[in-house]
Amino acid sequence: MIALATAAPAIGAAFVASTVEVVEAFTIVLAVASVRGWRPALGGAGAALGVLAVVVAGLGPLLSLVPINALQLVIGILLLLFGLGWLRKAVLRAAGLMALHDEAAIYARESSRIGREVRSAAAAHGVAAMAAFQAVLLEGLEVVFIVLAVGAGRGLMVPASIGALAAFVAVMTLGLLVRKPLARVPENTLKFAVGVMLSAFGVFWTSEGLGAPWPGGDWALFGLAVAFLVVALTLVALVRPRPAAVTP
Amino acid sequence: MKILIEVLEELWSMFVGDRRLTLLTLVVVAIAAAVSMLVKATLAAAVLLLIGAVAVLADAVFAAARKARD
Repeated sequence: MIALATAAPAIGAAFVASTVEVVEAFTIVLAVASVRGWRPALGGAGAALGVLAVVVAGLGPLLSLVPINALQLVIGILLLLFGLGWLRKAVLRAAGLMALHDEAAIYARESSRIGREVRSAAAAHGVAAMAAFQAVLLEGLEVVFIVLAVGAGRGLMVPASIGALAAFVAVMTLGLLVRKPLARVPENTLKFAVGVMLSAFGVFWTSEGLGAPWPGGDWALFGLAVAFLVVALTLVALVRPRPAAVTP
Repeated sequence: MKILIEVLEELWSMFVGDRRLTLLTLVVVAIAAAVSMLVKATLAAAVLLLIGAVAVLADAVFAAARKARD
């Protein structure tokens, strides 16, 4: 039986990170559906999910052959690179120095782009399906990495997969109900939280992989997340452009 | 083929999107590894890793903020 303190961060990180990725993929699939209907959209998305399933099925047994310390170190370093990069962008967005992610704008842009490509191509159905396939594959790869990264280091693949699956079901249910881009999902806030969590996991796994574990075991993850959150919020305050002083 | 290239580009940008951040992160990990293995100070190595990661993040944010203002 996995302790809650061990499983909760893996489930939470996988759920939040996957929500962001699934929302982004859904926007493109919806754009495809609006141009050519649901058949090529769901066909392309389904094919991409099949490819991702093969990737996961292939990687899972391979990872079990790698010594745990080496696995934790490699995954920790990759998570650090991914998490710090993500957190950097989130801080810049929160400070107003980088454009916010806007699903409605992306939907409009992608619908127009796919519409142009479909009109100019003989095999319009295939072009539309390929756009959905590509979007789901690219965003799905990030989900696969996140699940492997937060789950493989300590036998938490099942909790991490549950988190990702829950995100997929939640976003798809909501998306298919409203049939509009999920622009009201607080994506930028979620990305900030994901950056904090992935960076915390990155420091945690890299330390474990180096044979330098944190005191407190898995509870240290919460402390690391708080540390990154405080630093990130401080950085937002430090780099946010100040309004120009009004001269009388 | 085009999709394969885009997948590889996506994977590359996931980890090496900001080259300076990537390089500095690897330097921090190398220093923490040296402290852990050579000095056998495991807690110091873990703390060093955290402080280093925070410093790399701050450096990347300040560099991007300067660039955005210029």
